[in-house]
Amino acid sequence: MKEMMYYNINDGYPESIVRGYRRSLLTSSQYGTLTQSETLDDIKLQLSATDYGNFLQNEPPPLTTGVIADRLTERLVSEFNYLRRNSVDPLSKFLEYVTYQYFIDNVILLISGTLHERDPADLLHKAHPLGVFESMPALSVASNVQELYNIVLVETPLADYFRGCLTGHDLDEMNIEVIRNTLHKAYLEDFYDFCVNDLGGTTGVVMKELLEFEADRRIINITINSFGTELSKEDRLRLYPRCGKLSRESPAKLSAMNDIDAVKAVCDNYGEYQHLFRDMNRSERTLEDRFFEQEVRLNLLSFHQQFHYGIYYSWLKLKEQEIRNIVWISECIQQQQKERISDFVPTL
Amino acid sequence: MKGRLKGAQKGHSLLKKKADALQLKFRSILKKIIDTKQTMGEIMKEASFSLAEAKFATGDFNHAVLQNVNKAQIKVKTRKDNVAGVNLPIFESYQDGADSYELAGLAKGGQQLKKLKVNFGNAINLLVELASLQTSFVTLDEVIKITNRRVNAIEHVIIPKIERTLAYIISELDELEREEFYRLKKVQDKKKKIAKEKAALHAERKARGLDQGDGGPGESIFDEEHDEDLLF
Repeated sequence: MKEMMYYNINDGYPESIVRGYRRSLLTSSQYGTLTQSETLDDIKLQLSATDYGNFLQNEPPPLTTGVIADRLTERLVSEFNYLRRNSVDPLSKFLEYVTYQYFIDNVILLISGTLHERDPADLLHKAHPLGVFESMPALSVASNVQELYNIVLVETPLADYFRGCLTGHDLDEMNIEVIRNTLHKAYLEDFYDFCVNDLGGTTGVVMKELLEFEADRRIINITINSFGTELSKEDRLRLYPRCGKLSRESPAKLSAMNDIDAVKAVCDNYGEYQHLFRDMNRSERTLEDRFFEQEVRLNLLSFHQQFHYGIYYSWLKLKEQEIRNIVWISECIQQQQKERISDFVPTL
Repeated sequence: MKGRLKGAQKGHSLLKKKADALQLKFRSILKKIIDTKQTMGEIMKEASFSLAEAKFATGDFNHAVLQNVNKAQIKVKTRKDNVAGVNLPIFESYQDGADSYELAGLAKGGQQLKKLKVNFGNAINLLVELASLQTSFVTLDEVIKITNRRVNAIEHVIIPKIERTLAYIISELDELEREEFYRLKKVQDKKKKIAKEKAALHAERKARGLDQGDGGPGESIFDEEHDEDLLF
């Protein structure tokens, strides 16, 4: 009740914008016409009829999928930043949390670049625009990870993540991917905490659903992808976020998952995850595709409720999926692989 | 001289055999190159498609991979292969050190990345193979040209020259022999003539010589005594 009364005072405008953005996502019929295109210029033509308009107008020919991907991301970034500019606390805090994901990726990029002594200007160029923060250029001053942490990261919001799960010793030794996943785990748990405990209400309920799925997805993926690699069981356990449904299983059970069948057995206890593993051998959809489908389904559902912040998170994810789809279609057309062109995950 | 001719002919036949063997190997390499290039096209297509798949699943991992590069994981070593006396370089690829991108895509897209790694690994192996085939092709080409030049030279220059020299010598010898023969004949004729004249003179003298008797003062040791010619 309180929500309904006070929500629109501060957050009414951004919500209307975001719902407008959501309406302009590509529909399956639009995807259909895109798949009928013969060249990338056809795609440009089709996209100009949608909400994207003439965003590819000023590109010099020939058009490549890389250029398309860049422009699409630019569009996404500008829309997201518009939302951020028009939001106040606590929505702005929420939106900031959402950007931490890209923040983490950029930090990892800069760390590995610095470790291998790459050109700092180059690295900044490659960073994801949604994850940019002020002290980024200073990152390249440090020459090893310890210094990096002490000089720069300690002031960023990521400091807590670093402190909570990594010691200085770990930072130097661990594989960069393990660092990335550890940070991500800490981020997910923190975000979950923020949504469920600090924000509460409908946002808490909706985000809980979404974040639990994300955590479980990470658990399953990390498990499956670490079969046959040098990642030990304890390390693997340490990478599992604690906010997922699967993480409530006992650690013994989790570390006993040594192959796909064991993972399947554990997931059978949860109705939502059962269908992910059904017909694994016969179907064309890979596990990743099914995860994407489930994610899209959950994100679409969040728009059915009102007066919560989950719609911003869902919109971002859906828009990203749309960008991936468009890039996939363009790549298929460019490489003349029309058979697999319908392998994207439609967002509507 | 005849010995030289024989030697040249033997050399010619040996070289021809070498040229034929090289030509055979050349053709087989050419065929392999064509096949490999075709497979290359297909494999590159598959590899770039799996790159698109991986990008779809993982997002943009390009930069992360580029940053983490420190040393080559696949290296090439050379070996020498001997074909009919020609040293051809062969390249072999081998993996040096563990896969440093084992954990890439841990949270999502791991399967696609694995497939991508396999596909591009195949592409690299094929490329190395193609490289060795092409270098052997070029080297063989050179050697075949040289060998063929030598074969042709022997066939069209050396052997005719030797044969012509041989023929010339034989003709000279024949001529010398004929000259000798002629000389001999001439000398014999002269001898006969002189003998005849002498005989005629002697007969005349004898007819007149009843009053001179034998052994006139004509015959002295100063008369040329015709030694038989020494014919070498």
